[in-house]
Amino acid sequence: MVDYLWNAQSPLQKELVAGRHGVTAGQAGVTLTEIRGIMLVQVMARRGKAVETAKAAKKLFGVEPPSTPKAVIGKIATLIWSGPDQFLAFAARSADSQFGKLAEVFAGIASLSDQSDGRCLSQISGPRAREALAKFSSLDLDDTMFPPGATATSSVDHTPVNIWRDANGADGEAVFNLLVFTSFADSLWKTIVASALEYGLEASSAHAE
Amino acid sequence: MSGYSGSEPLSRTAALDANASGRAAPVSQSHRLRSGGLIDRQSPLQFSFDGKTMTGYAGDTLASALVANGVKLVARSFKYHRPRGIMTAGSEEPSALVEMRTGARREPNTRATTAELYDRLMANSQNRWPSLRRDFMSINSLLAPIFVAGFYYKTFMWPAKFWETVYEPMIRRAAGLGKSAELPDPDHYDKAWAHCDVLVVGGGSAGLSAALAAGRAGARVILCEEDSRVGGRLLSDGGDIDGMHAADWLRRATDELASLPNVRVMTRTALFGVYDGGVYAALERVNDHVAVPGPHQVRQRVWRIVARRSVVTAGAIERPIVFPGNDRPGVMMASAVRTYVNRFAAMPGRRVALFTNNDDGWRTVEAIQRAGGEIAAVVDPRGRAPAKYQAVAGLRDVRVLTGGVSDVKRGVDGVRSIVVTGRNGLTQQIEADCLAVSGGWNPNVGLSCFHRGKPVWRDAIAAFVPGDAPRGMTTAGAANGEFSLGACLRDGHAAGVAAAAECGAAGNAGEAAEACDDIYAISPLWQVKAKGKAFVDFQHDVTASDVTLAQREGFESVEHLKRYTTLGMATDQGKTSNVNGLAIMAEATGRTIPETGTTIYRPPYAPVAIGALAGHHRDENFHAWRLTPSHHWAAELGAVFVDTGLWKRAQWYPKPGEKDWLESVTREVLSVRNSVGFCDVSTLGKVDVLGPDAGTFLDRVYINTFSSLAVGKARYGLMLREDGIVMDDGTTSRLAEDHYFLTTTTAKAGPVMQHLEFCRQVLWPDLDVQLTSATDQWAQFSIAGPKTRDLLQAVIEPSEDLSNEGFPFMGAREVKLRGGIVARLFRISFSGEMAFEMSVPACYGEALARNLMIAGKPFGVTPYGTEALGVMRIEKGHVAGPELNGTTTADDLGLGKMMSKKKDFIGRVMAGREALTAPNRQVVVGVKPVDPVRRLRSGAHVVPKGVIPGPETDQGYVTSVCFSPVLAQWIGLALVERGRGRFGEIVRIHDPLRSEDYEAEICNPVFYDPEGVRQRG
Repeated sequence: MVDYLWNAQSPLQKELVAGRHGVTAGQAGVTLTEIRGIMLVQVMARRGKAVETAKAAKKLFGVEPPSTPKAVIGKIATLIWSGPDQFLAFAARSADSQFGKLAEVFAGIASLSDQSDGRCLSQISGPRAREALAKFSSLDLDDTMFPPGATATSSVDHTPVNIWRDANGADGEAVFNLLVFTSFADSLWKTIVASALEYGLEASSAHAE
Repeated sequence: MSGYSGSEPLSRTAALDANASGRAAPVSQSHRLRSGGLIDRQSPLQFSFDGKTMTGYAGDTLASALVANGVKLVARSFKYHRPRGIMTAGSEEPSALVEMRTGARREPNTRATTAELYDRLMANSQNRWPSLRRDFMSINSLLAPIFVAGFYYKTFMWPAKFWETVYEPMIRRAAGLGKSAELPDPDHYDKAWAHCDVLVVGGGSAGLSAALAAGRAGARVILCEEDSRVGGRLLSDGGDIDGMHAADWLRRATDELASLPNVRVMTRTALFGVYDGGVYAALERVNDHVAVPGPHQVRQRVWRIVARRSVVTAGAIERPIVFPGNDRPGVMMASAVRTYVNRFAAMPGRRVALFTNNDDGWRTVEAIQRAGGEIAAVVDPRGRAPAKYQAVAGLRDVRVLTGGVSDVKRGVDGVRSIVVTGRNGLTQQIEADCLAVSGGWNPNVGLSCFHRGKPVWRDAIAAFVPGDAPRGMTTAGAANGEFSLGACLRDGHAAGVAAAAECGAAGNAGEAAEACDDIYAISPLWQVKAKGKAFVDFQHDVTASDVTLAQREGFESVEHLKRYTTLGMATDQGKTSNVNGLAIMAEATGRTIPETGTTIYRPPYAPVAIGALAGHHRDENFHAWRLTPSHHWAAELGAVFVDTGLWKRAQWYPKPGEKDWLESVTREVLSVRNSVGFCDVSTLGKVDVLGPDAGTFLDRVYINTFSSLAVGKARYGLMLREDGIVMDDGTTSRLAEDHYFLTTTTAKAGPVMQHLEFCRQVLWPDLDVQLTSATDQWAQFSIAGPKTRDLLQAVIEPSEDLSNEGFPFMGAREVKLRGGIVARLFRISFSGEMAFEMSVPACYGEALARNLMIAGKPFGVTPYGTEALGVMRIEKGHVAGPELNGTTTADDLGLGKMMSKKKDFIGRVMAGREALTAPNRQVVVGVKPVDPVRRLRSGAHVVPKGVIPGPETDQGYVTSVCFSPVLAQWIGLALVERGRGRFGEIVRIHDPLRSEDYEAEICNPVFYDPEGVRQRG
């Protein structure tokens, strides 16, 4: 009997070359990390069930899903606003995930669509991150306009993306999450790298935590 | 770096006499003042012009370095190849256009006045042969009488066939400026976004004042300055501000701006466009001032700046006067003369004549005298020095002449003398090697007019000032017609305060800096009428007589004038010429200038390289691409990829020894038909349709019924546009009571998703249905061929029943795969064979491809590409993109019976229109050449046998073709009038594009297994 192996492949298997790119002098201006092993479920309240959906979410995640463009961190997942009465539930992929409960908790009040493989997540940080981001994102990422927890559904290279800001990194720099459609990941990664080369780029991948 | 203005006098014997002959090779920096100027004398730079090596200093422009080296002749003009020099010191320069750099970086039409000098800069004059001094094409000047306005229109009319073959190549050879590089641009270009409350455009006195005010008030400010440093005219004309020298004030102002974290000053950044919603475009010349950008650095960057308010302080441009010989090398704008002397410590001439009709021009006298130059004479139609200057000591010796300059005599390298015609008509000749001209100042109204705002004429300054500026924009300073330093500072400050306040920033903006309010008096003089060519548009060689000729020939409207004479259509967009052209037209038609009107202002304000607009989006990065989950695996196998929309799809998988694509594709098809093959179809659009009303929703979207579809079943669906034409097709499966999985064609995935969202949100908001694109979530493969079931049984858990009973045709459900993952399996067939589509989460797509290869090895499993997919669908008569072409109805496609009569759906009513149900519509049929070895080609026309092809006899066309390995001949699908009743008829296939004409038989479009036995097998 043949053994069939099911190795999960990142869409960035070719394009992501870990290490330093572009200008090599000094500290890397931009760090770019692919976050692998994510779970992502689109939760859409059914007609007239937004309140029940919020209540169910509160029960499961310990927080209400955001009603404005924000990302909130709950018990087992981060909830990212993705439109009126809908949000993305995001967590690290793990064997003991509570995500299995989603279908049960939201039965009859919200529709779910598994997008864990439909999107690819990257994290951009570093002292020159905003300058690099300005080359492919039209968003105003200034602290006053886009503080930690802010989120936006936007586009890069005419391609839909979700962007949200995490808590600042240990170095005090802003951290931006970029969620792109899987089939575009290879292309957009190249765009991001090209935008960051002049600042020096450190690329890597990490498993979601 | 030393002071700003007030260069020390130089000894005349030392610097200026060196180039006395005018013919000798210029001694390096023969015209450089000994001190002063914003140049770094510790950093000498070598450069070459037309192969001659010279030196300049850091801080120079190419133009100022040429001036410092005594070079006057730098270009030949566009049409007449007249010798031209440097006219201005800014981005409005119409004459001193040179070719910079070499090889792949060669760039024509670079304004020497904006090109910053760098070491080893190489520039060449252009538009001349064999040399700048002896230009053969200057013979055009002798032919001038025939090269008048409208020359092309009048001369190159007939015969029409000469347009492309004779006239255009001839004109292109003779005209044009410079040659672009013929190699790919090796540099990187960027695009970036910036955001602010207040955008200040232009960093002169008014702009700095506005930025300081808005910045202090707490607004987020961006200040754009096209020059390499801020200061504007302060850098050239100095002045006293708040009791200190302009240079000191400037230093304080820039220091303060730098200290404000909410203010960003962008130099070398020219604003070129104003768009809706407060979006502005600017070009930053990041590395134009070095020979080659450093590693990973960009050459230029296009900024899109989103600003809540903007303050345009773009200054004013000095206006030439139209008189014969006004284009001679050595004729220069008075303000440019002062810039070269004061900012760059370079003397444009040793004996300078001044021709001015306004007070500002008179500043030039002092600047020249202070630098040790001589004023040959001042020609002012007003006849006397303005009161302010009468007291200036050096002026007592200056000859002041009334009247105007009526001719300029030149030597090889430029001005030798000027001819002045007095009011009494008497002329006198005055020796001079430079003529400084000032016809007044034109506020830079361009940006304020980009949204069709009309500028307003102001008599006091004889110029246009901004009218209705775009929303959110105000203008201040010289751009607003305020020409004194004091007024610029006040105006800028007030505009900065107001703009910041409108953005909610009301902090302490401080006081406006103070400076004196010079009186600016002008007596309009547009033209000195005398014999000889008097230029209006220097870059396009449009003369005063061209303007009056246009008027005589009826082209009086300014828009007609512009197009007939090409006035203002050159790369400088008429910055120095438009108002003069209007003035001459106004006089010729007896109207005022405002009555004559202005042409429409459009972006870009300054030339922008296409490369900069493209940014990274060039070559293979021209647009974003999408990769299928099995892409890298297919690449490993040597697949040839084809762009289908944004996707890169495997087109076929060549094997060693195969001589062409047809051989590979034929092998792939036969392998599927005889055994088993698979194809990545992940590119099909996939949509999760969720919620209790999902079935009702689909009933309204599709022409056929889906609410009745059983869970675990798939159905082919067709949707129409509102107008009754087919929009898209695909299979949709019901995975649960409240979960349908809808698929679309690859091409229409986006438009269909948009359409569905529109239906959900706008048409039927009452339906409880939710939609999400799941295209990227799933890797989906079609596995087809008689051995499909054998292959699947090897990879699917044995507990899953794949028999006809356990998994009938059009079944759809989850199955467990060996090794522990769950897949979705759909029994659907596009190829006509026994086939399944299997989907797994995208991350397992590559593993699935590898595992299918393992499982199918005993059967010789063959991966196949889009070509084989296309061949099999044509053999099977399945319609696809070429038939779903936006003009066909369901019935045209042979699917009319699918249209439910029991329900309403989008497109139902409109599909019933007479023309869409006419019996003579072109419908899908099969077609095969009578000669079995003939190749059929799509696009060929179908006409009845024996008739002459033409629009009246045309009955349709071939839509899709392939070589059918099963039938061993070329076959195709076609849209043919009344086609379904014509099976067996021989028609004529007419292909004028490829000069082919042959006969073919119309037949049933289902060439292969018409009973469908195989796919149900």
